[in-house]
Amino acid sequence: MRKKMLLMITLVAGMTILIALSLNAAGEIPLWLYQAVIVIAFPVFVLFLGLWWMAPDREGDIPFIGY
Amino acid sequence: MIAYLLFATFFGLLLLGIHRKVIARVQRRPGPPIWQEILHMLKFSFKSTWVPVTASESLFVAVVLIAIGIWSAALFVLLAGGSILIIFGIYMLHKIVEHGFGLSSGSPYGKFGGVRSVISAASEIPLFVSVAVIALFTGSLEITDIVRYQQANGPLLFIVPLAAVAMYLVILSKMPFGPFSIVESKELVSGYKTEHFGVWRAGLEVCNGIKTYVLLFLFITLFIGMVPIWWLLGGMILVIITLAFVCALTPMLSPFDSVTVQMVFTGVMVIYAGLLGVFA
Repeated sequence: MRKKMLLMITLVAGMTILIALSLNAAGEIPLWLYQAVIVIAFPVFVLFLGLWWMAPDREGDIPFIGY
Repeated sequence: MIAYLLFATFFGLLLLGIHRKVIARVQRRPGPPIWQEILHMLKFSFKSTWVPVTASESLFVAVVLIAIGIWSAALFVLLAGGSILIIFGIYMLHKIVEHGFGLSSGSPYGKFGGVRSVISAASEIPLFVSVAVIALFTGSLEITDIVRYQQANGPLLFIVPLAAVAMYLVILSKMPFGPFSIVESKELVSGYKTEHFGVWRAGLEVCNGIKTYVLLFLFITLFIGMVPIWWLLGGMILVIITLAFVCALTPMLSPFDSVTVQMVFTGVMVIYAGLLGVFA
């Protein structure tokens, strides 16, 4: 569940950058707006990408509590 | 732009790797490969990550995002030829971010690192004098105007060499293993970044890569002018090698001595700026 959420945030940040890139290339948005989008979305993409690929796929084991 | 930002991140990390390698060779050690900092960044992103129980969770995470964001913004301002005041404002903001890194963790080592980052704000004062001298000669703080001035009159490095030395000192204070690196000295483990491990540290490495690229790019643009990309990259490597020699050959100063040296240099710079103002 957590891994899915982290992937969603990573994808949203990545897609936002790609959309801004395409809109800027098409002349729909100015360069400063594209750069502002990168300034906000790039850090989110970097961090959540790392958090996503290190998030466990399943719940952790029951911890060993001694004999 | 995003491609350039990624390039700046990796090239900045490569520069930090060259820095480490040269320090090691000066000290007659083999040293790590020059791509070690890139490997570091990747390594940290594959480590287990959580927020320490003593940390302020939101601040602990937010400072990493802010650190990457502000240096990305600095790179774009530099590329657009904007005002150097914005870049130096971001430089000051980085101090607050370092402070936030240290205080958010709840660790005494981090807190001491954060407090030292405030003390080391003394390193920014030569920066202001450097900016004042540049403004005095070029009549502008816009990077495009400064570049235009240098195209007409030659590099500022030869016109106001002490201002270049002041800026060099500021960059030196941001280099790891340098005489002014009191914020991450070994008696504080890793200083303000002690508790930022795993993905948080990988984010910090990304920030360090962009920061190194921006500072060296800025130094060359302000004092040499706009040069072709290969000359720029070569110039950055040359500057980082000289910085590595200084770092390898000088011991890390105590916080008190670090501030004293920087204040003495500030005094010299103020006199220099005053003389330039009188005789210019």
